[in-house]
Amino acid sequence: MNLLAKQIRAEANWPPEKGEAVSFTSSTSSAVLNPPETAVLKEVRWGLVWRDFVLEDGRVIPEHRVAGCPQPQAWRNVSEVTEAERQECEERLVSMAGAGMDPRKRDQPFWTDLNQYLAYTYLRFKQTGNGHPDAE
Amino acid sequence: MAENETVSGSDKENDDQRARKALSEAGLVEIRLEEFAQRIRDVKSLIMVRLRELIDIGNNIKERESAAYSLGTLKVLELKLLAQDSQRSDSPES
Repeated sequence: MNLLAKQIRAEANWPPEKGEAVSFTSSTSSAVLNPPETAVLKEVRWGLVWRDFVLEDGRVIPEHRVAGCPQPQAWRNVSEVTEAERQECEERLVSMAGAGMDPRKRDQPFWTDLNQYLAYTYLRFKQTGNGHPDAE
Repeated sequence: MAENETVSGSDKENDDQRARKALSEAGLVEIRLEEFAQRIRDVKSLIMVRLRELIDIGNNIKERESAAYSLGTLKVLELKLLAQDSQRSDSPES
């Protein structure tokens, strides 16, 4: 019961607000090699699958790497993503690639967008290809 | 009514769990920097399988177009990564 109360309180205060300091791991690898960092939150926004935390320094951190994030994190269902939103993301990705940006720069907008786009596209076609109702 | 809500909530949780498991197994939750090109190829293959199914079925033109567009987007990104890799290997510093 205590645990549940704590969880409800944490979820009620989640996500943090703009201007708050947030702690996060800089990588999914070992916490010993990559101790948590702290930075100021600029914005929390939904990607195609999960929420991203945009920091004042320009880095973009997926919600699951932010300390205090309720488990499991909220994810969007593939069907919630509009066609316009998907096209916008596709155009943004092509534009960033055309501008010579490298998606292999961790925690940068291109890396984040491509991660989310691949995850979303995988779920979208994996589901429809396996007899999902959307397939009809 | 409450029972329906519970069932519906449980369905959503199950969907979420399935999605997390599928993405995790596919290595797509957080892609390692050195694996981007391979992950793009994996997702392209999946789209091509679906595209073939759609062509065989012969309807749903909208989904077919959307799948083809996604495939094109990933092709552009894959070529860009390959070009960047090629530039790196040609660079005297590498």
